Formats: sequence, C-alpha cells, structure tokens
Amino acid sequence: MSDNSEKLLVVDNLSTTFATAGGPLPAVSNVSFDLLGNETIGIVGESGSGKTVLSRTIMGLQPRTNVTVTGSVLLNGNQMANATERFKRELWGTEVAMVFQDPMTSLNPVVRIGKQIDETLRVRLGMSRQDAKARAIELLELVGIPSPAHRYNAYPGQLSGGMRQRVVIAIALACSPKLLMADEPTTGLDVTIQAQILNLLDELKERLHMSVVLVTHDLGVVATRTSRIIVMYAGRIVEVGATRDVFANHRMPYTRALLESSPKVSNASHTRLVTIPGRPPNLLKITDGCSFAPRCAYATEKCRTDRPELQPGAQPGHSFACWNPLPATRGVTAS
Amino acid sequence: MSDLIFIAEEVSLVEKPEKKEPLGLLFWFCIGWIALNFVGAIFANVLPLQNPLYQDYNTINAAPSLHHLFGTDDIGRDIFARIVYGSRVSIAVGFGSMLIGYCIGAPLGMLAAYRRGRFDTIVTTIMYIFLAFPAIIATIAVLSFWTPRSVFKIIIVIGLASVPLVYRVIRTATLSISTKDFVVAAKVQGARDRRILMKELLPNIAPIGISFLLIGVATVIALEGTLAFLGLSVVVPTPSWGNMINESRTVLQQNPWLVIFPSLALCLFLLCLNFIGDRLRHHFDVTEVKL
Repeated sequence: MSDNSEKLLVVDNLSTTFATAGGPLPAVSNVSFDLLGNETIGIVGESGSGKTVLSRTIMGLQPRTNVTVTGSVLLNGNQMANATERFKRELWGTEVAMVFQDPMTSLNPVVRIGKQIDETLRVRLGMSRQDAKARAIELLELVGIPSPAHRYNAYPGQLSGGMRQRVVIAIALACSPKLLMADEPTTGLDVTIQAQILNLLDELKERLHMSVVLVTHDLGVVATRTSRIIVMYAGRIVEVGATRDVFANHRMPYTRALLESSPKVSNASHTRLVTIPGRPPNLLKITDGCSFAPRCAYATEKCRTDRPELQPGAQPGHSFACWNPLPATRGVTAS
Repeated sequence: MSDLIFIAEEVSLVEKPEKKEPLGLLFWFCIGWIALNFVGAIFANVLPLQNPLYQDYNTINAAPSLHHLFGTDDIGRDIFARIVYGSRVSIAVGFGSMLIGYCIGAPLGMLAAYRRGRFDTIVTTIMYIFLAFPAIIATIAVLSFWTPRSVFKIIIVIGLASVPLVYRVIRTATLSISTKDFVVAAKVQGARDRRILMKELLPNIAPIGISFLLIGVATVIALEGTLAFLGLSVVVPTPSWGNMINESRTVLQQNPWLVIFPSLALCLFLLCLNFIGDRLRHHFDVTEVKL
C-alpha cells in the first residue's frame, strides 16, 4: 500500500434506500470502507449490485427526492452524506471529481472542448481568460491529446471515443481533485482503447498524488491497477481485501463465480463461457438470509435464514461475508 | 487510390475543423428577400409607392399593369402598395408576439425542466390549463373588449397566447438534455445552476428554439389574418397581408389577383424564413462530423 497512511475517504455504515412504488429499495446497505491517499481501490460486482449507486452516494449525487441516505461519508474530513448542495459544490471539482461511463454523453456536444475545460478553471479557480486557456492546453497535453493547442478548438463530435474520454479526464483533473471517482470509465470504449485510458488514469494518479475509486464489472480492469478490491452483491460488500488476496485467496463463492466467469486467454478456443446461474436478486424482496444463497452451490439452510456479516480472513485487511467460505488456499489466478 | 483520398480528406478535416461548406445561392436569395421585405416595411413612407388607401373608382379590379404592378382591388386601391404597407403589420405582429412568447415562455420552460419538483408541477399545470382553452377564443374575447385596437395590443394578446406553446416546446427540449451526463458532469465540477442553464442547456436547445420560433412567426402571421377575417385585427382600411387575403374572398371570381399577390407575399416570406433557419441550423451543427 501507499506510504501516505492518511485516510482520504472514510465510508461508514452507508446505506442508500430509494422509495419506490413497490416499497423501499435498499440499493446500498451498510457499506463501510476507507481509502488512503494515493491509493486505487476497485469496486466490482454485476450490473445492479449497487456499485454505481454507491459511487454516486459518495459523490453526493442522489436524486433530490425519494431517497434516504444514512451513515457517513467523510471526504478529507468533510461530511458528504446528506450535505447541502452549497457545501458539496465547494468540494466538487477540488476535492473529488468524477469520470463518467460514456464519453459520448458526458461532454457537451455544442461547446468546444477547450471551453469546457476553461469553464471550470475560470469559475472555480478564478483564472483569467488567457491563463485558463494556457492551463486547459496543458491539461489536454497531460491526458495525452496530440497537438493540444489545435484540439482546444475542436468540438466533441470531431474526436474519437478514446479522445473524448481523455478530455473528460482532463476536465475532471482541472481543479486537481484529491479523489477521482471513475464509474466504469472504459465501458463505452473500444477494447484497444480501454487499456490506454486505464494506464493513463494510473499514471496520472501517481503524478498528481490522487486516490482513485475504480468502479467496474470487469475484473481484468481492476486486477493490476488497484491495491484493494471491494466485491459487491445486492448492495452489500461481500468480500474486501488486497487485490492479490481477493484474486488468489478469495473465500466468498460469489467472488469465485465472478472470477470464473471472466474469459481466459489460456482457455482452448470455443471453451464455453462460465456464467453465474440465476439472476441478481430483486432488491424489493430481499430476505433475511445471504442474498447470494439462491444462486450459490454451497448454500445451506443457515444461509437462507441468517445474513452473514463480514469476518476477517487470514490476510490483514481481507474479510468476507459467508457462512460456508471456500478453503483458504484455493486460488484462481487473474488472467 | 481511393483509400489515399479518403485519408487525405480525413487529415484535412482534422487540421481545419472550421472549414465549412458554403451556404449556397438560395440561402443568400432568401436573406435578400427577407431584407427586402424589412426595408419595404420600414421605409414604406418614403418609397415611391402609391397611396395604399386611395380609392380610384376608374380602375376597379384591374389586372397587373405598369401603372399598377399587382393590379387594383375592388375599390380601386393599388395592391402593390397595400402589400408593402401590409408587411408592416404582418412582420411586426409575427416577430413581436413571438418575442413576447419567448421572453416569458422560454425561461419558464427551461427552469421548470431543470428544477423539476413542485415548481415544474405548478407552472406546467397552469400552462396546460391555458392550452386547454382554444387560443383563438381567448384572443377574440380579449380583443373584443380592449378597444380601440392597435398593432401593439394585438402583439401583446397573441404574444401572451403563445406563451404556453413556447413553454411546452422549450420545456420538453430542456428535459431531454438536462438528464444527460454532461449536465451532471458540469454540476460535479462545481458549476452553479445559472451557469448550467446558460452554458450547458441553452446552446443545446437553441436550434430547437429557433426552428419553433420560425414556425411560430408563420403561424402568428396567419393568425393575424384570421383575426382580421373576424374584424378583430387592425382597423380597416389599414392593410395587412392577413386582412387583404380575407377581403379578397368576396371578389375571388372577378379578381383572383387580389388573393394571389398577398398570399404569395406571405408564402414567400415564410418559406424564406424557414429555409434560412434550416440552413443555419445545418451550418452551425457541430454535433456530428461531416465527412
């Protein structure tokens, strides 16, 4: 882990519940974790596991109505949970910034990309027009856009998806945030571009001493670029630990199922892709037991009636929520 | 070879993103026509026109000639002069009332769609109540009592009647944009609401707003004609394109020129406006790369 042991983000017992026509929907339940300075943490899980809601709740980006947030999100000592818009606006951009999933929709299509970076610099940092432009060109160069002074005047429509995502990152970095939330930053991109963008994020994290929360459903994305991984299922953390431990010594059957369902290069061609049987639970009909029990090969009667809490594993910082954990030595290596 | 050309084109496109195709001859013709109309409307007094109100009983229902370019009507007035003078009322009513409609309807629509919640519910409900009443009946009711009639009053009444229509269009356009990620992205960069409305939303809904504005101008010019038909527009004998068309209906069989020329003036004016709008929107569209 990092030398800097100061905790940048402390999430404590965070729950996000939506009021829906079908009753309360617990999208995120009792999530606690912390993040150090200059650390990258990965949040993985299937679609609907609550990872996007979690990242948005940490940002303080819930809808204005029909949502209840309990617990605490301490960002560099500032309470983000249930904070006022005015308070969060001061932190947005300078303390925490966000990279969105789809670079096709996260840039304003009718504004020149340079102006979109300028905006933030002039409004938040009070820069003059010339200074902001110079800084914007610097930022474009920083994120690896060729001939940045020229591209400054381009419209998003004139750039490729990978280029746009670089611009999105440049905008996010404009006010030098301490924490960067990347919600599936590569899902909307070509596979060949994905690695470039992830490497860029990694490199920028080191250069600018940021922390990064990398939300993804792709284990390959988090494997080499995170120090720790959080595995989410049905809005809860089911396993958390150092990346190495989660890949090699995971104890929760769900984590194993996730790992096994990612295709491996070493497989013979035409190997059938392993899938997790069943489908994610309906969060409106959550039971008292383990949410994964209906899809789990190891489930017992206890799993269906009592919810397992996170318990520490053998390695420091590793914990999992399971009544019938896999043997500690079992290992599936990352592809 | 064709690959090479393609690559060359791509490179030049990237290097010169500002280069755009010319607007075309037809566009400039339309601009010229609209300009001519405006010049006519503004300088009708000083132009060498005949008196639009002078009734020459020796030349009734005359066909176009050198002396009367567009002929004369059933009481011997020069149609050409009446069309030029009539453009004053039509253009003023068309643009003036849409200006009022946009000044009130557009900010409300944007705000309602961006804010949502109670503000949106209340304003939208009020607007829909107004929409439920046929605008023409409301305008008739107000104009019957608000006398003496003048262009100014007509502009205000039609302008207010157009507010709910403008509101609805702008609100819908804003709604479709305000949920996009770039609005959230601007927000989490610390942008304030006013900034998001002006810098993020407005440039995106402007093309829709302008298109609807031009259609609105056309509709309002026609509506002024309808009011004229009911005797609720400017007091006769002041000409407007609308009331000229309506007056012509009694002598349609004897003198078809009487309906053809004002209709042509109205039609060409609106056609040019719409063509200009369409061309400009295409010209300034930056959302798709033109290869």
